[in-house]
Amino acid sequence: MICYNCGCRLSEHDFCTSCGADVALYKRIIFMSNRFYNEGLEKATVRDLSGAIVSLRQSLKLNKNNIDARNLLGLVYFEMGEVVNALSEWVISKNLRPKKNIADDYIDMIQTNQTRLDAINQTIKKYNQALLYCYQDSQDLAIIQLKKVLSYNPKYVSAHQLLALLYINSEEWEKAQRELEKCCHIDTNNTITLRYLKEVEHMLMPEEAAKNVPKRKAVSGKAVRYQSGNETIIQPVNIKEPKGVSTLLNLGIGVLIGVAIACFLILPGQIQGAKAKINNELRMVSEQSDAKTATIDEQEQVIQKLTEEKAQLSDELAAYQGSSGNVKATDGLMMAVRAYLENPEDIETIASCLEELEEDGEDKADETAKEQKSESFTALYNKLIETVGADLAAFYYNSGYSSYRAEDYEAAIPDLQRAYEYDETNGDALFNLGNSYRRSGDDDKAKEVYAMVIDNFPETELANRSETNLAEINNAEQN
Amino acid sequence: MIDFEEELKKFHPSLEVEDAEEAIYNQDLTDMADIFIKLADKTKTEEE
Repeated sequence: MICYNCGCRLSEHDFCTSCGADVALYKRIIFMSNRFYNEGLEKATVRDLSGAIVSLRQSLKLNKNNIDARNLLGLVYFEMGEVVNALSEWVISKNLRPKKNIADDYIDMIQTNQTRLDAINQTIKKYNQALLYCYQDSQDLAIIQLKKVLSYNPKYVSAHQLLALLYINSEEWEKAQRELEKCCHIDTNNTITLRYLKEVEHMLMPEEAAKNVPKRKAVSGKAVRYQSGNETIIQPVNIKEPKGVSTLLNLGIGVLIGVAIACFLILPGQIQGAKAKINNELRMVSEQSDAKTATIDEQEQVIQKLTEEKAQLSDELAAYQGSSGNVKATDGLMMAVRAYLENPEDIETIASCLEELEEDGEDKADETAKEQKSESFTALYNKLIETVGADLAAFYYNSGYSSYRAEDYEAAIPDLQRAYEYDETNGDALFNLGNSYRRSGDDDKAKEVYAMVIDNFPETELANRSETNLAEINNAEQN
Repeated sequence: MIDFEEELKKFHPSLEVEDAEEAIYNQDLTDMADIFIKLADKTKTEEE
């Protein structure tokens, strides 16, 4: 603090130690200015901008050279959207203290950005135009203008208030409330805002009170209203918030609704999807099964065919192998032919070789064995028989008859049979064969042979004797 | 109940940028300190 008279720094005394001027009152004025400044700063801190303006103006009324107060006042104006007022204060501040003044920065911030300055100017002009519309009772146009203003400068408190007033006039209480709440965010303790807000709440509250009448009847007491930061909270007292049972009940209802939605809306869709998927898979499996069945059938046919072929080949192989196969038959024939070639007179050897062929034919079904023999084999065999057949017949007849006379019927029968086979004109061989069967006890075979004799050699002595023997056998059987 | 007309009277046109210069010039910056100094000087002159 400096002396107003000499400019010297003042002490704690009520007079200037340099010029002796009485500075008591002067000091008090300065102190009061500072106090108002502090008050204004506190209010600005809590966003009571209107209150801050009042205090800061008071401060400046006491001491116009309070640069801090003036700069702060400019800031508050700027925050409320009053840009020109803010600029005025900063310009004055700069004139009062040209150097080391933060007002320089504030002014530069606005003036250097020409676009922003133009926008601010437009905003002010539109606001003034809106006000003019209000005077001209063109409230709709005023509302449109004010909305434009607020889109450029959302912190313009006066524009919010004017718009709220217009909404109140047109009884759009909720819109008015919204605008006023925005004002409260910017300037919490603005008298006009609070007054309008009270009016709006009064108009809105009766509707809510009517809705809540049953509850209010049950509860006594007033509502508690308090500020929480930038918000106004209105809480009715003595109302218990529902807890416990009602919460559980609400939860249960919510769960039921969720389950119902799932059952009726979500689940059918999922079931349908699952069914479609299953059907699809079933179709694929069926197709694969059909394909495999077809393959199996085909394979079974192949197997059957191969089995038959195998059986056939096995039969052929068995016919070529073993004791009575064609291989052995062929060997027998070859040996017989060889024996004839070596010694045509050795009928006995030839006969023994040919006897093997007979065993082969007797062991198996004759027709089958004979069919399996090749044409060459048959031709060779026939040729051999043609050549030595008569000799073989004589050989076997002599052997068989000798055995018959020696009563060795077991040996006689095959020889006599062979003798007749090789020479079917030899009736004696056949007759003696019949006698051999009869004497060996085989009457049935004997009767067959006798019948053959009768058939093949009719009107001969052999036939007569055969008839006689046949009759004797029959008489013996009847007896 | 809010009277629209009455309330409207409380709203004044804002200063535009072009008007700022004139507003600054017209502003009376006399404060209490100035008044006190004037009084003090006047008293001093009268005493003399």
